[in-house]
Amino acid sequence: MKDIFDLALFQNTIRTATPLILAALGGLLTMHAGILNIGMEGMILLGAFFGVLGSYFFSSSLMGVLLAVISGVAIGALFGFFVIELKSDEFIIGIAINIFAGGLTVFLLRSIFGVKGAFSSPDIVPLPDVHIPFLDKIEFLDKIFNNHSILVYVSWILVALVYILLYKTPYGYWIRGVGEHEEALETAGINPKKVKYVSSILCGMFCGLAGAHLSLGYLTLFTENMSAGKGFIALAAIIFGSSNPIKVYGASLLFGFFDALGIRVQSLGIPSQFTQMIPYLATVIVLFGVAQKKLIKGKAD
Amino acid sequence: MKGRKKFDFEYIGSLLLAITLALLLGALIMLLNGKNPAMGYFALLQGALGSKYAMASTLAKTVPLILTGLATAISFRSGIFNIGGEGQLYLGAFAAAYVGFTFTNLPVIVAVIAAIIASALAGGFYAYVPALLKVKYNIDEVITTIMFNSIAMLFTNYLVNYPFQAQQGKMGGTDMIAEAYKFPKLVAMSKLNTSIFYTMIIAILVYYMVKKTSYGYNFKIVGENSVFSKYAGLNNKKYMILAMILSGALCGIAGAFEVYGTHYRFLQNISKGLAFDGMLVSLIVKNNPVGIVIMSIFFAVLKTGSNTMELTTGVPSELILVIQSVIILFIAGENGFKQIIKRRSMNKGKLVK
Repeated sequence: MKDIFDLALFQNTIRTATPLILAALGGLLTMHAGILNIGMEGMILLGAFFGVLGSYFFSSSLMGVLLAVISGVAIGALFGFFVIELKSDEFIIGIAINIFAGGLTVFLLRSIFGVKGAFSSPDIVPLPDVHIPFLDKIEFLDKIFNNHSILVYVSWILVALVYILLYKTPYGYWIRGVGEHEEALETAGINPKKVKYVSSILCGMFCGLAGAHLSLGYLTLFTENMSAGKGFIALAAIIFGSSNPIKVYGASLLFGFFDALGIRVQSLGIPSQFTQMIPYLATVIVLFGVAQKKLIKGKAD
Repeated sequence: MKGRKKFDFEYIGSLLLAITLALLLGALIMLLNGKNPAMGYFALLQGALGSKYAMASTLAKTVPLILTGLATAISFRSGIFNIGGEGQLYLGAFAAAYVGFTFTNLPVIVAVIAAIIASALAGGFYAYVPALLKVKYNIDEVITTIMFNSIAMLFTNYLVNYPFQAQQGKMGGTDMIAEAYKFPKLVAMSKLNTSIFYTMIIAILVYYMVKKTSYGYNFKIVGENSVFSKYAGLNNKKYMILAMILSGALCGIAGAFEVYGTHYRFLQNISKGLAFDGMLVSLIVKNNPVGIVIMSIFFAVLKTGSNTMELTTGVPSELILVIQSVIILFIAGENGFKQIIKRRSMNKGKLVK
């Protein structure tokens, strides 16, 4: 047991949870705005690719993150254009974006870098690790929370910012309003389209950051399809955390924990497939629980 | 009610426009890449249709596309959205493979029928659960089927790496099915096998059901106007569940054909998104069964030909994925584009006055 539940496990948890939380923060914004975005998978993948591209060509991880964010803004705007402007079905566009990203990144990987499968190079500058001085006084704080890649800390700040945005600012009220009652917003003189656009562009941005964390945060490389279902686990985290940034953060940590645990127990001969299943099963169970509650409430009414 | 047109020429027009634009975009990307688009597309056609072998390979690729496309169509037409085809396909493929490597001494017909039934049951059941959750508890089937995809893939992944791992020690795969059960090849060396015939029969059956039977009509009414269908005395829930089960069964059968016609065993990455490809095919032609067959051939041409294009001109084959997703974006945006154009021309009219 001690071999499994050591401090490194919790450190890994934070690391694996970070791309989930970044993507989920974006997805929960569109969810509040009444849009189910299943294109997050593709958005993360694009971010991962452009992160590597920027870092490699400009020898700067900051440029990598910048390009990842720009790619996220672009794909978020594209998603918004189709879903909001053209009123296309959101999940058709989501699926199309996933396939588009899968194709485009491999295409670019081969036409720009001339490699198949994966691209790694000593010229890709990884994101810097951050050392927080006062944490190193206590061993377990130091081991778990210190010396992570910078986006880990950024993700914590973003959780707080998104929470404040959603619940403490008028704009957050509009985002939540547009998902619940679009007409009311319109009567109040606010353009619901604009609010939806902002939420889907922010979603793209956050997914871009998630991608950058994947390709520059702890592995310094890009591989085909490296988002590997993270967009769907992020969706699961959003539902599990009922679209509340803090609860969603908790859900992401939990899912990250099971992911990290799965790798550990595999060495003991326990299949990791079951720990990997937990986010998906948990989502279905949560949906079931919510539905039952509604049913009971409906009957009581 | 709108008249029942035989052909929607306006739609076919915009479809052709979307395909043309996407191919032009592909050409532009090739140019930017320093390649000759004419040569690229020529190589693509050559690779997909240039020889008997090429044509056979192309046809072989249509099988899973047609089946998963029809599966999508049945569910979408009925207003219930089965995004879980991938998971249903995996379970169906495993169930079929299980029959094939466990009961190795059955008469061939019995074994193959048993395998197909097993795959249909596995896929159908796996679609039934989200359908039930939808009609009974109003749980969004889009989300549950997405989650179910991952669960099925992880579960079969577990099965082939632990209890059912091949005895020859092959990682991530089961034992081979019995030699006699393998679907015969139609063209030597190619992947084309008799599953294409079964697929055509299924396509005709689905067409018949959708277009000619009261069931098909009821599916459509339930999908298009659930309030109306309720007043018309239809049991919406029953039809939604039925549509979902049929849809899942078809995906399961697609999995069985992958095992019996192509790989002869279950592999942990047997599909790689086949159900999503089929879904795109169906969405592009607005869930029309005849359109699905035609569009599957088009997608298969792109898919098969892209490998030759890559070999002879160096254009990465993934360009095709970009072209396909652009087509779907255009088609999905079709109505919106039309309305924007309308608004524009109306505004222009105002200006003139």
